[in-house]
This record gives sequence, C-alpha cells and structure tokens, in this order.
Amino acid sequence: MRKAFLIAVPYLWLLLLFLVPFLIVLKISLSDIALAIPPYTPTLDVSAGWQGIREFFAALDFENYVFLTTDDLYWKAYLSSLQIAGVSTLITLAVGYPIAYAMARAAPEWRPTLLMLVILPFWTSFLIRVYSWMGILSSEGVLNQLLMGLGLISEPLQILSTNIAVYIGIVYTYLPFMILPIYAALEKMDESLLEAAEDLGCSRLSAFWLVTVPLSKSGIIAGCFLVFIPAIGEFVIPSLLGGSNTLMIGKVLWEEFFSNRDWPVASAVAIILLLILIVPIVLFQRNEQKAREAEG
Amino acid sequence: MSQTVFAPWNDPDETPLIRFKGVTKRFGGFTAIDDLTLDIYAREFFALLGPSGCGKTTLMRMLAGFENATEGTIELSGQNIAPIPPNKRAVNMMFQSYALFPHLSVWENIAFGLKRESTDKEAISARVEEMLRLTRLTKFAKRKPHQISGGQRQRVALARSLAKAPKLLLLDEPLGALDKKLREETQFELMDIQEKTGTTFVIVTHDQEEAMTVASRVAVMDEGRLVQVDTPDVIYEAPNSVYVADFIGDVNIIEGHATPEGERARIDWAEGQPPIWGTPRGAAGTGSGAGKVAFAIRPEKVAIAKEKPEGRRNLLEGQVIDIAYLGNSSTYHVKIADGRIFKAQTANTRRLVNRDITWEDRVWLSFTETAGVILEG
Ligand SMILES: Nc1ncnc2c1ncn2[C@@H]1O[C@H](COP(=O)(O)OP(=O)(O)OP(=O)(O)O)[C@@H](O)[C@H]1O
Ligand SMILES: [Mg+2]
Repeated sequence: MRKAFLIAVPYLWLLLLFLVPFLIVLKISLSDIALAIPPYTPTLDVSAGWQGIREFFAALDFENYVFLTTDDLYWKAYLSSLQIAGVSTLITLAVGYPIAYAMARAAPEWRPTLLMLVILPFWTSFLIRVYSWMGILSSEGVLNQLLMGLGLISEPLQILSTNIAVYIGIVYTYLPFMILPIYAALEKMDESLLEAAEDLGCSRLSAFWLVTVPLSKSGIIAGCFLVFIPAIGEFVIPSLLGGSNTLMIGKVLWEEFFSNRDWPVASAVAIILLLILIVPIVLFQRNEQKAREAEG
Repeated sequence: MSQTVFAPWNDPDETPLIRFKGVTKRFGGFTAIDDLTLDIYAREFFALLGPSGCGKTTLMRMLAGFENATEGTIELSGQNIAPIPPNKRAVNMMFQSYALFPHLSVWENIAFGLKRESTDKEAISARVEEMLRLTRLTKFAKRKPHQISGGQRQRVALARSLAKAPKLLLLDEPLGALDKKLREETQFELMDIQEKTGTTFVIVTHDQEEAMTVASRVAVMDEGRLVQVDTPDVIYEAPNSVYVADFIGDVNIIEGHATPEGERARIDWAEGQPPIWGTPRGAAGTGSGAGKVAFAIRPEKVAIAKEKPEGRRNLLEGQVIDIAYLGNSSTYHVKIADGRIFKAQTANTRRLVNRDITWEDRVWLSFTETAGVILEG
C-alpha cells in the first residue's frame, strides 16, 4: 500500500502538471476561434448530457493545423528556431568545454569555488540579466563605448536587435547547463588514463582526442540537449535582444496568443513544437540511460 | 640452454641500458627516492622488492617519463632521458592501477599502442590476437573493461604493455591478482617472451617467490634507497643486512657479540649458553665477524632431532611449541633456553602419521658453521 502510494505520487504529479494541461491545450488547438470568453468554441456543456458531449466532439477538427501549413511564416519560424538553437548549442559547447576542462584540472581545493562561480548567475533574476545585456550591447552601450574609447571602431556596432545578440543571450544564459555535465564527466576521469595513452605513443593532443573526448562524450551530449531543447522554444531572449527579423517560434506563439488572441492557432503551434521537442528529449533520455549503464 | 652465465653486471666492458646516477626525487618536502645509483643491463629481468611506499612505482614512473628526477640523471642507452617525453621513449609501462581505457573493448585496448605507430590493419590484428592468446583473453576480446574480472583486467593491462614489444618493459605488480597457477604460467610466459625478444624487464613485485623465480637480479628497497642489489641466490643466501635477511623469506636472527677465532667466529648470545659458531664473510664488506653482530640463519638450514646429534658444534636444546604444516614442509617453532623462538623447517618426505616429533617434545636443533651469515648488528 505504502509502496503503491510512493509510486503513485510522481505519476499523479505528472498527470496534474503535464497531462492535464497538455490535454487542455490539445483541445483548444482543435477548436475554433470565437469572440467570447474563453475565446474559442466549443466548450463542454455537461448539463446537456450525452447529447452535449457528442456535439462537443463533433465540433473539434484539425483546421488550425491545416492553416499552419498554408502560411509559410510558421514552418520558417520552426526552422529558424531549430537553426538558432543548433548554432547556439555549438557555440555554447565551444565556450563551455574549455571552461569545464579547466575546472576539472584545477586543484581540488579550488573546484567548489569554481562550481559556485558557474552557478552564481542563477541567483539573480533571468530577466534582469537579459536587460543588462541590452545595456551592454546597445549602440550607446558599454561594449560600444569601450571599443570606441579604445579607438578600435569609429561608429557604434549594431549588435542589439540582431541575431548576434540572440546568440550571445542564449549562449550566456545556457552556458552553465553545458559546463556542469561536462565537468561532471571530466572530473570522474582517471588521470592515469592520459599517462597510459602517452606511454603507448600518443601526443598530448591525440590523447585528448582519443581518451578525454570519448570519456566526456555522455557529458557533451547531455549538455548539448540541455541547451538545445529549451533554446528552441526560447521567447524572452529573442523578444528582448533580437530584432524584428529574428524569427523564433516562441515569439510567434506569444504573438498568436496575446496580439491576435487566436488561442486555437497558438495552441496548434505549441502542440507541433512539443512534437518536435519529443525527438531530442527521447534521445537525451537514451543518452542518460547509456551513461548510467556504462557506470554500473 | 647456453652454458655461459648471464651476468653482464660483472663484466666491466658491458655498458648498462639504464643508469641511475645519484637520482633523488622529492614530492614537496617528502623524499621518495634518495640519492639512488643503479645500473640495469640489456636483457635483464630486474625485480624491485620492498615494502609499500618505498618508492618502487616512483622509480618506474621516472623511467616511463611521468616524473622527472629532482636531482641526478637517468640514462637510457647512454642518453639522458629527462628531456624525452613519454610517447617518444621506447619504454612501455604496465600500471599498478591498470589504467585500462573504459570506453574501449579489450581488443581495442590492446591495439591502442599498435595503432599509434602503424596503419597496417592486418599486422595489428595479428599482433592483438597473439597477445589475446598469450594472456588467454580471446573469449573476452569484445568486452569492455568493466565487464571482466579483476584478474582478467590485469591480464589486459599486461597484454597492452607487451603488444608493442618495447626495448624496456616496466611491470608494476603485473601478476598480483592472478591465482597461483595462472601466475606461475604467466611468469614462465614472461621469461619466454624475454628470451625470445630480448626485452629488458623491470618488474615490481610483492611476491618474493616470484622475484626469485623470474629475476636475473633483485633490488631490495627501503625508504627510497637501495639496500641490496644482487642475484636472487646471493640475496637469499648472503643478505647484506638484517633488513634484507628479514624481508626475504623466513629467518632466525640472534644478536650477540662476535670474536674471531681462526677461520670461524664465536658468537656469545646469552649468559650461560654455548656460543654459536659462524663463518665471517670476508669479501662482502659487512659482517666482519667482530663486535656486536646479528647471526641470521634460514629455518630450512636448521636440523631438528629428538636425539642429541653427534659431532655438531652448533647445538641448541628446546621444546616444540608449535608446528606449522605447509604441505610440502613443516616449520617447527622451538622455544630455546632464553625463551626465544627458533624456527626449523624440514621437508615432509614422510606422511604425517609417521613423523615422530610433536608438540611439547624436547628437541635438539643443530646447524653447520657455514649455514648462517654474520651481519652487522
Ligand atoms: N605525486 C605524489 N605526491 C606526493 N607523494 C607521493 C606522490 N607519489 C608518490 N608519493 C609518495 O612517495 C612514496 C613512494 O611511493 P610509490 O608509489 O613509489 O610507492 P611504492 O613502492 O610503489 O608502494 P606500493 O608497493 O604500495 O605500490 C610514498 O610514500 C608516496 O606516498
Ligand atoms: Mg607502487
């Protein structure tokens, strides 16, 4: 009984926080827009009994999904989101790996402090940090003033309101998610493996490629997914740092909901986004499983 | 078998393969290797013996290139090796911790070093298969290190270090995790490889029997210093100090005062007891046979009898207090006059029931005047 209860708790949680909202959104995506509160139809009328339920289901259709294929805005936004998320992930990896490597190689008494420094930004609000990037990147911002002060440029660079600012924002925000799993993998690595590799004829560099990288592979993959998955649906960063031509599905979704008040189409956009995300999420889970098995 | 004795260390014309010249290694304030000078010759099977923490692994790591000497130089084939990185040395090391690559299969682990110097897939494959056969790992070739037993892992590490057939092979406790039978077989394999390839082996072992079996010379270390470097039989028969005598094999040690008398030395060791007669070692430097000394004698050189033997000068009377049955031999623990325990070992040529000496018996221990060694006390 107790055991059944313990197992039931996470499932109940999942049901309440994921499945129920998902079903609601799915239902809205199959509805039609209406000038009402809530702004869609049909709504379930239980008082009408069996007849009411039949009518309710009869009114649901895939119209909104069909609509998404007719306007190329949507699939372009999906593609552009995937591209921005993908490129950001690669940049984050390129920046994060050396940091994680240096942390894992640092003297053991320094490591907790370094870890602390990586996590520290989470202690301030995410919004404040994004706003401060606006202050840094704008034409009168800190960066431009510095570069002009140094005489490197004569005109301020237009960084804010471009995709570059979006990349900077995403890389900055998600860097800890890349560093932590890679650091965890590297820290576990036995130093004598590198000695063994060198002993068997590897140079330092080839020992890195043949031993260090494969042994941190699960950390790399985990880090990439942890950045890629949330970056696809990112809304705040492209709206605040990106320009009018920055196309990301999170922004489209927001506009459908709040500017157009078209909840059914917005819901359809959200459902498709979820379907797209399932692929990397499943791959991520599989990687975690494999890493656990390799350790066991 | 060739009849010439392999003893390059006695040949002044021979140049050593490895020369340690006054090598000291410090870790911070701790001296792990202390002013060590040692020559190791090509084709030797050189065994390092010593208690845990005496610096055996450190010595090997300096040869492999993972540590640099704080002072002194190490030469390999007459060349100072300090500036040569590990991957450029014709030296392979088997790590005490094995250091197997966890992401690679047994096969790939063994092939790792071969792939670095050659791209000939067939040659590599043939060599790996040969190593797998040698270490009896063929069945496990596809497994990852975490899927095999400790002894199998040790064999993978051994196979990996052997694969490249280096000029110098460093084995840090290569056989410790193997059962006795497999260990003996592998010892013979190693000697065989050595005979065939002419590789020089430096091997660390905690098993003195192993050192005795395989080694051309044995070095006994203590706290970063070499105490004695000699052939196994000299180490065993003529240890140069109480430390070595005690470290290698079983030994009875009696402290006393020696007085030379002609060819022999007379050792008075306890009030009212007959003296022990020994033979001073002239050439070896220690054990001059005068003053305060320690007399060391191996238990198997002590005869035990119920009747007082005739014509023996070294005679001790005592009582059997314990018998350790070791299968092929038995060790009798005999309490002698001053309460000291003296050990005597006899081969068990007769079945247990036919032996006449048992607990509580009064017995006589005897040994010849040349059976023991006189060491500086
Ligand atoms: N990197 C290091 N830093 C500090 N001290 C070290 C280091 N490596 C070894 N030592 C010390 O040097 C001494 C010799 O170590 P070494 O590993 O050579 O011992 P060993 O003879 O191989 O012992 P064992 O038989 O237990 O393997 C030890 O006291 C050890 O604590
Ligand atoms: Mg060691």
